[in-house]
Amino acid sequence: MVYVYDGSLEGAFSAIYQMFHDKGDVNSHTLVASEGLQYAIFEPVKTCETQPEWSNKVVQSILDTFGPEAFRRIGYAYLSEDAAFGTKLYRCLKRAYKLGERAMENLSDPDILALYKCYNAVARESHSMMGLIRFSELNKGIYYAHFEPTYDLLGLVIPHFKARLADQIWVIHDTKRKKAAFYNKETVHISDLDDVGALDFSSVEMDFQKMWRTYFDHIAIIERKNPKLQQQKMPKKYWKFLTEKDLSKNLLK
Amino acid sequence: MTANEKLSILADAAKYDVSCSSSGSARSGDKTMLGNTAMPGICHSYSDDGRCISLLKILFTNKCIYDCSYCINRQSNAEMPRAEFTPDEVVDLTIGFYRRNYIEGLFLSSGVVRNPNYTMELLLLVVKKLRAARFNGYVHLKGIPGADHMLIEEAGKYVDRMSINIELPTTQSLRLLAPEKKRLDMIAPMGFIKEKMSEYKALGRQFKNAPTFVPAGQSTQLIVGATADPDYKIIKISEALYKRMALKRVYYSSYVPVGRTAITVGPSIDLLKREHRIYQADWLLRYYGFTADEILTPESPNLDMDVDPKCQWALRNLHLFPMDVNRVTFLELLRIPGVGNVTARRIMAARRFGPLHFDALKKMGVVMKRAKYFITCSGKPFGASDMDPFRLKQLMLDAPKPLNNQLSLYELYPGQFGGNQNGLRI
Repeated sequence: MVYVYDGSLEGAFSAIYQMFHDKGDVNSHTLVASEGLQYAIFEPVKTCETQPEWSNKVVQSILDTFGPEAFRRIGYAYLSEDAAFGTKLYRCLKRAYKLGERAMENLSDPDILALYKCYNAVARESHSMMGLIRFSELNKGIYYAHFEPTYDLLGLVIPHFKARLADQIWVIHDTKRKKAAFYNKETVHISDLDDVGALDFSSVEMDFQKMWRTYFDHIAIIERKNPKLQQQKMPKKYWKFLTEKDLSKNLLK
Repeated sequence: MTANEKLSILADAAKYDVSCSSSGSARSGDKTMLGNTAMPGICHSYSDDGRCISLLKILFTNKCIYDCSYCINRQSNAEMPRAEFTPDEVVDLTIGFYRRNYIEGLFLSSGVVRNPNYTMELLLLVVKKLRAARFNGYVHLKGIPGADHMLIEEAGKYVDRMSINIELPTTQSLRLLAPEKKRLDMIAPMGFIKEKMSEYKALGRQFKNAPTFVPAGQSTQLIVGATADPDYKIIKISEALYKRMALKRVYYSSYVPVGRTAITVGPSIDLLKREHRIYQADWLLRYYGFTADEILTPESPNLDMDVDPKCQWALRNLHLFPMDVNRVTFLELLRIPGVGNVTARRIMAARRFGPLHFDALKKMGVVMKRAKYFITCSGKPFGASDMDPFRLKQLMLDAPKPLNNQLSLYELYPGQFGGNQNGLRI
């Protein structure tokens, strides 16, 4: 049976409730988000409506059985936007309930490992984003950053920047998912945000960008150039958002 | 001179100091200040040599009165352009970079101007100004050897980490290459910082608002390959520094010949490779429960460049292998080549649910290429039971890399493929 949920995490939990209720062998069920659904010819499809009551029950049960850390990992795995997230979650939980309390740590189990990998990829990228996000100062004292992370992790980096850049107004804009976090020195709110167009930088912004590029160029030991290592640590897909690596900005030098 | 020009000179002057980490301190800020520190540290970029950029690493000035022959900033190096920041320039740069999330904080060092005390006072002035400007990010300050302890103590209240470079592994080599520096001037302040750290920690337990003192601990750096000191001496010193001085890190900087120097250099091996192997040995000391005497001995005092230090140890101690991953303790798991700290923890956690098999081990992060010769799973060997150390080593070595200049079809058949056929490769 192919179970279909609306793509929300709540929807996934509520479908899981139904799948556990329906019983059956673990290999006979899959769970997919409605937008990723490819119609299976031979398999019956069951569309699950999101029922907050059911989803709350599943969440509570996960917290009670496996603890808050396991729940956090599931939340991260959801943000990986993995097309197979639903099925992976279902299979992982199916195994975990058999094994009991600390089951989520049993990475020798393929189903538990599969979900862990989703979690780990998101955790990793969100940590590296804390370093790679670059702000520019706009003329009204607003610091603006745009980025396009592989995973949907805007929400995960917000607490970090809220604590760190507490005394400045900032915006972090995920231009791929067209949404942004706005911080006004008090609270953060997230809303949809389209392309912002040409930015009006503050008078000193270009000086700082120039000095950062100077620093970046001069801190490297030229005798030991190692582009392979550099790319491995800082994949090229992020370069266009980096002040020090964006070639179009380098032309201004 | 503009700040940008100064930055280019004083970043150049600082780049051979390899320490970059911003870890070991967790301090939260509040809404009236800028910044906090993160326990694991954060890398913000990677320079063209592949090293992590975490801190703004600069010298306050490179006008140095000393003439240490290994150092690019030595007085006699006439080609080196010289510059000096003002304290305000350093503060503005640090805060401007921090607000744009370029850096975790500042790593400030300096050449010695006039005398050690005068220099230390300058550095102290900068960090005081920085904190007065409500900057709460990470600060790593270099202690100037020979500076008054009172100045060191004062500075320690404003910074997260302090380091005093030990520069060279032995007193003899120091005398040879840095005749103006004294060994004791480096060791004494380390001991002093260690003492003060525990004093202030005790204070902190009693009084909530007691000042902190170097909360991220101290580190040091020594230069590898400028003298003939063997690896054994180096890791023995590191071990002593970790144990007796409670250092957080020892950094090793492989010597880059800068300008003309009359230096005695050790055996001509790949210095970067050597640095890498020494770092591996250092990790064995800090995270794997090894002692320096297990890693090397006075009889064979140098690390093997072909296999990592843990493999070398295992090959010398084959009587301890194979180990059964389903039975041995955590500390024993750490001794197996190809099993790292994270993997060992994963194995311990997963073992509770039943015995592990080889395919699971691989997926959990065990590097089977090395580990397979040293382990069994519930008594079963992997199939590689060759236990002759020499053959084992050969088996674990990487195959030599194919030559970089792969022949293209164009080069083979220039007649058939006219022009520059970049895309066609075989």
